[in-house]
Amino acid sequence: MYDVIVIGSGPAGYVAAIRASQLGLKTACIEESNNADGGSQLGGTCLNVGCIPSKSLLDSSHRYADAINHFSDHGIEVAKPKLNISKMMERKNKIVSQLTLGISGLFKANNVTQIHGHAKIIDSNHVEVTSVDGSEVHETKNIVIASGSSPINIPVAEINHKNIVDSTGALEFKSVPKKLGIIGAGVIGLELGSVWSRLGSQVTVLEAMDDFLPMADKRIAKDVLKEFNKQGLNVNLSCKVTSAVSSDKDITVTYENNGSVSELKVDKLIVAVGRKPNTDNLLDINCGLSLDEKGFIPVNDFCETNVQNIWAIGDVVRGPMLAHKASEEGIMVVERIAGKHAELAYDLVPSVIYTHPEVAWVGKNEEDLAESGIEFKTGSFPFAASGRALASGESTGFIKVIADKKTDTILGVHAFGPSAADIVQQGVVAMEFGASAEDLGLTIFSHPTVSEALHEAAMAVNGQAIHIGNRKK
Amino acid sequence: MSIEIKSPTFPESVADGTIANWVKQEGESVKQDEVIAEIETDKVVLEVVAPFDGVISKVLKPAGEVVLSAELIAEFEKGEQLDTQETPAPEKIPNSSEQQKSDKTNLHDSQLKENGPVKENGPAVKKLLKEHDLNADAIDGSGKDGRITKADVVNYLEEPSSKNQEIAPNSNIQSSSATSTPALASIDRPEERVPMSRLRSTIANRLLTVKQETAMLTTFNEVDLKPIKDLRLKYGEDFFAEHGVKLGFMGFFVLAAVQALKKFPVVNASIDGSDIVYHGYQDVGVAVSTERGLVVPVIRDADNLRLADVEKSILDFSDKARNGKLSIAEMQGGTFTISNGGVFGSLLSTPILNAPQTAILGMHTIQDRPVAIDGEIVIRPMMYLALSYDHRLLDGKEAVSFLIAIKDQLESPEKLLLNL
Repeated sequence: MYDVIVIGSGPAGYVAAIRASQLGLKTACIEESNNADGGSQLGGTCLNVGCIPSKSLLDSSHRYADAINHFSDHGIEVAKPKLNISKMMERKNKIVSQLTLGISGLFKANNVTQIHGHAKIIDSNHVEVTSVDGSEVHETKNIVIASGSSPINIPVAEINHKNIVDSTGALEFKSVPKKLGIIGAGVIGLELGSVWSRLGSQVTVLEAMDDFLPMADKRIAKDVLKEFNKQGLNVNLSCKVTSAVSSDKDITVTYENNGSVSELKVDKLIVAVGRKPNTDNLLDINCGLSLDEKGFIPVNDFCETNVQNIWAIGDVVRGPMLAHKASEEGIMVVERIAGKHAELAYDLVPSVIYTHPEVAWVGKNEEDLAESGIEFKTGSFPFAASGRALASGESTGFIKVIADKKTDTILGVHAFGPSAADIVQQGVVAMEFGASAEDLGLTIFSHPTVSEALHEAAMAVNGQAIHIGNRKK
Repeated sequence: MSIEIKSPTFPESVADGTIANWVKQEGESVKQDEVIAEIETDKVVLEVVAPFDGVISKVLKPAGEVVLSAELIAEFEKGEQLDTQETPAPEKIPNSSEQQKSDKTNLHDSQLKENGPVKENGPAVKKLLKEHDLNADAIDGSGKDGRITKADVVNYLEEPSSKNQEIAPNSNIQSSSATSTPALASIDRPEERVPMSRLRSTIANRLLTVKQETAMLTTFNEVDLKPIKDLRLKYGEDFFAEHGVKLGFMGFFVLAAVQALKKFPVVNASIDGSDIVYHGYQDVGVAVSTERGLVVPVIRDADNLRLADVEKSILDFSDKARNGKLSIAEMQGGTFTISNGGVFGSLLSTPILNAPQTAILGMHTIQDRPVAIDGEIVIRPMMYLALSYDHRLLDGKEAVSFLIAIKDQLESPEKLLLNL
């Protein structure tokens, strides 16, 4: 009899399992993906086909593009760099296997039992695991569902794993496609588009919605769109794809834009229109759990389902599909199982797009605040005025800090520029402690760093920025 | 061997208490003298501390239970702080680094918020506290682990009561005694039912008893505070430099009341059964509003105190009251009470007696009003005074004369010096 069985070993599941075991709970983690040796391939989407491999390729492709486009700016003359795509992929795969093996090691070190197979919840105390060796029922006091998500497949552009691929396939191209189409200008589409565009693809992104990055700050979204188009991402909004016909030679993508129909010929097509929760054959009909209309498992703020002792975390529940949100939910849930007090500040989950420059934000944006009638003030600082950013040749973008008009409490930090994710993280820490813009202003920042832009933006909130003219009040 | 942990020995006037909360839980290890539980009595919150380093092995009286004086409330195992052998926490792997880790996590427990480790406030908060000369203890923190945020300070400064927090009105309690709500509650008309805190229910019982068992009525007057305002203007700075405390209004009122009480000893007396007890000393209670409710610390032997001493004790009591540090002894007795509804802006009210006392003085807000003096209409800073008294003991003549005596001294503060 286990204290906790965790279903899934992605960033939600493996973190939950390790912490559960640390808390003295007898814990098992079930993973159905196979590795080359017939065991579990741990790590979930994030480590295998998401965050980590994409960042590996983003970094490699950035270096390549940098060598071609910017080395000469620094006075470094090189012959045209030669691309070895299979070596780039090999490097990526090595990082992935290093990290996934690392989880296996962490499980052993923390006494987490690994179970390989597909899990099905029979009731709140029984999980059936089916593998090639047959099926077995395990008894447990608590069940944590962390089964994750998969790319959404759309009928108008069916994935064929050859030239029409999802985000997983887009990390495995053997050569650089000459013309690359991407359906969806979300985080995944933009990151993958950046990779292949830097490596030489002629990229066209088709987005059905009229707004670009609707969840981001309006001005940042505008600047980002401008910068990406400059980089050659060629983002087209309000373009609804109606068909994608694959031939031996290429793919013909038909799309509708404000009533007019256009055609686009590409060599490869990436479908990146979102992700759906993984719940296939997960729940026995009598287990008491049901899904909401979008297929998610309904939970409250503590990730409790409607069945006692069954919890659900990560991509399979509401909220942004982000690894860091999933991991924190995992920790919260097992701490609560162990009788401790734990909760999550859901309004402080940071979001990042790992393009170059990066886009990141946390908290509320101006539209949210205006809508809820909260009076606010803002302060911005452009990287063009940051000494360090100029020295690095990374002066695109800016930081915006939004604070409550009366109390000065920081309500949001939005950044587009060098190390935006790490800069926004400083805002997350401050906001977790209820800091005011003045608090950041009164904090010492190292010089010269790009983080100083956050310092200046915070001071600009109260008209006290030093290195840029302050807006007249 | 297990050690018994008992509730503290309550003072005579305290019948029982309620376990407000267990700061430390069963199975948790504690250091000697660490607070493990809080017991709320009708007067103060008493702390129960660990007698030695060790572990609470069994909680016998869970939070919410009523306990008597020196009653057994828990069992305790003396021992090594981190000796996991004695930590009967469920299903815990004995591993000392593990233990430390989980202890750390525990600090996030909301119950520990008020008793956690020393919390560093952010730089903007420190700056504001200094600039406004505020005591951090007076402000409730809404931040992580109860820290004070800049928003807390900004909001605190906006509260009208934060500027002058000396005295709270007795009369305010009166208006808050709501009638029962009709049973129309629905989803759109939410209702919340919570048990009264001990302090609240004590206040409620006492006030009702006084209303029912005394023949209470109120006489009014008004006082021109220009002379005292002039005095404060002229000597305020010197007074502060000399005594380290601001020259407020309250001190004058206490001294004026003491003089008047000496002149009318029956106002300072109380009824005990069929006897009248005349007190040969003047212990003046000043009502202070706190988060938990109204408390009335008592300035002892006020007739022996100088103005500065009175101001100092009032400041001291306000700080203590706000931090819940007033002791029972500091609130017992009292022969007369002064309540100040003026801090909340009250123009006129009828305070309720603080039994078994015979009279209570109500101060109110100071307003510039036209008054006729020597046939001329002039603008003066005026305050209405109210004296509620027990008609069983005091006749109208004495009550009215007593209030006029106070008024006279406040309008001619030199009389305080001359004991006139």
